Amino acid sequence: MKPRPISGGSTRETDLLAVPGVAWRARVASPESPLAQGLRRFRRSTTALVGVAIVVTLVLVALFADVLAPQSPISSDQTRTFQSPSWDYPLGTDQLGRDMLSRIIHGTRLSLIVGVSSVLLALLVGVPSGMIAGYYGGRLDSAIMRVMDLILAFPIYLLAIILMVVFTPTAGLIGAMKVTGAIAIVRIPIYARLVRGSVLSIKEKEYVEACRALGVRDPWILFRHILPNCLAPIIVTTTLGIATSIIVEATLSFLGLGTQPPTPSWGWDLKANISFIQANAWLSLFPGLAIFVTVLGFNLFGDGLRDALDPRLK
Amino acid sequence: MHVYILKRLLHIVPTVLGITFVVFLMMQSVPGDPVVALLGDAYTQEDAVKIRHLYGLDRPIIVQYFIWLGKLVQGNWGTSILSGRPVLEDVLVRLPVTLELIVLSMGVALAIAVPAGIIGALRQNTWADYTATSVAMIGVSIPEFFIGVLLLLVFSFGLGGLLPSSGWVYLPGTCPSMVCGVSLWGNMQHVLMPALALGVGRAAILTRLLRTSMLEVIRTEYVTTARAKGLSERPIVLKHALKNALIPTITVMGLQIGFLIGGAIVVETLFAMPGLGTFGIDAIIARDYQQVQGFALITAFAFVTMNLLVDLTYTFLDPRIRYA
Repeated sequence: MKPRPISGGSTRETDLLAVPGVAWRARVASPESPLAQGLRRFRRSTTALVGVAIVVTLVLVALFADVLAPQSPISSDQTRTFQSPSWDYPLGTDQLGRDMLSRIIHGTRLSLIVGVSSVLLALLVGVPSGMIAGYYGGRLDSAIMRVMDLILAFPIYLLAIILMVVFTPTAGLIGAMKVTGAIAIVRIPIYARLVRGSVLSIKEKEYVEACRALGVRDPWILFRHILPNCLAPIIVTTTLGIATSIIVEATLSFLGLGTQPPTPSWGWDLKANISFIQANAWLSLFPGLAIFVTVLGFNLFGDGLRDALDPRLK
Repeated sequence: MHVYILKRLLHIVPTVLGITFVVFLMMQSVPGDPVVALLGDAYTQEDAVKIRHLYGLDRPIIVQYFIWLGKLVQGNWGTSILSGRPVLEDVLVRLPVTLELIVLSMGVALAIAVPAGIIGALRQNTWADYTATSVAMIGVSIPEFFIGVLLLLVFSFGLGGLLPSSGWVYLPGTCPSMVCGVSLWGNMQHVLMPALALGVGRAAILTRLLRTSMLEVIRTEYVTTARAKGLSERPIVLKHALKNALIPTITVMGLQIGFLIGGAIVVETLFAMPGLGTFGIDAIIARDYQQVQGFALITAFAFVTMNLLVDLTYTFLDPRIRYA
């Protein structure tokens, strides 16, 4: 056997196999991708799994609402108004005699669609704007942030309200799209400002300076070195964002400016029944609980995701 | 620094003008006509033309905006078409109600969030942390109007009308007319549920955020250094950790104040309070241009000022952040 050189670093698996005296394969630690590690951590968190269970259930309910709902959510029956919860009507009926359970099942659709799509829209515009503004500073920063200030200078509900008044609320899919647009617009600056704030402090760090000294291009620095370091607040805010968007949608509906009837909406149902809560508390309780559980599901899900993706925080 | 502050102060003017202009344009594009609503059944073509001329509604939109602006510079906020009352007068009457609501709910939020966030981070993964995070999680997930409804069910309808479900009793010194109810105790009874409804959700958000940032900060080397050099826990937490952890929290708090003024609309509607929120939404829905402009002006001004304060707080909390 030819003596192997001592220098030259660690023994590789292939070298070992070539050595006749070694009968077993060297045990190599299987490299796990950060994503797989994250997934493993995610699966260990009970609350995160509860969140996923809620979200998955809601998505299924939304998809199969037509099958699951025992009655039509919009057909009224004047002989059965204000029924207390019973076997026939598990959540009772409202002032038009409509089955509350069916309305809540169908309301899932609106909440999920508007909540998720409005956040994605806002994220796509807000994060790049904030990174560019914070990193380059100067006039570009001023220009971007003044536009953001302009949107931010409105209370989020006020702008959403005025936008909805301008869009004129309607029923159905078009109505849902109007609400989505209004919520997305008001939520863009939240991401922009958050990202800009983090970038302002991260870009002063030594490793960014080192990158610049090495001649790394700006887009690479932004996406490879700065973005990952401000990801934790972005993820926290995004997951909270879906939840918040669902709340804003419910609030607009509560003010009568969301998707219009007959499209079932939890916020609208809560508002419509508020005059009757003294005698029929359940009428406002169930839509409110539905909003609460949905938002809770997304919050738990997002929290688990955050803990999994950023183990430093755990 | 002073130059920066001066520059930002000068920025307030165009931003506020921009906001009021955007609102003006948006309101003009809302379908419907306030003159029709004003005249009601007595609507005739001649009257409509007369009223439009009287309020300058027959002029081009840009001209209307600059007329409004010109009067504003002289301290005239315009007169409501529908009620015939001066806008500034209405705004000043309603401002204290909303201010009280917002200040109290922010107080509720901070009083809960700062201790809860710190304890959650320092006693991570203990029962204290789990309690804080679970309660915060529930608080984040309930919309303020639902908290309001729950409070109504318990305190107004459940406990034999312990707290009033709607209306308002003014704080001494803020009563707009001779006939309104004025009493500190009555005011507290009326403001308690709305302030809780508005503040609890904000508290939950701030708690979560502060806990997250605190966890990040107490793992940094300078905190370890501070511990290593024998500093006691209190100055480490309050001076070294909290100050840095507050940066993202302040950002979100600035945004939350915006949320609060908007949330005031919802809560004031639910509890039928005579504040700026109900004033604003009534004006928007009725298309009372002058009132909407007044409402937009005061909220816009409040916001831009708040954002400036938030940016200035950064430099105080983290001197590494510099503004040229």
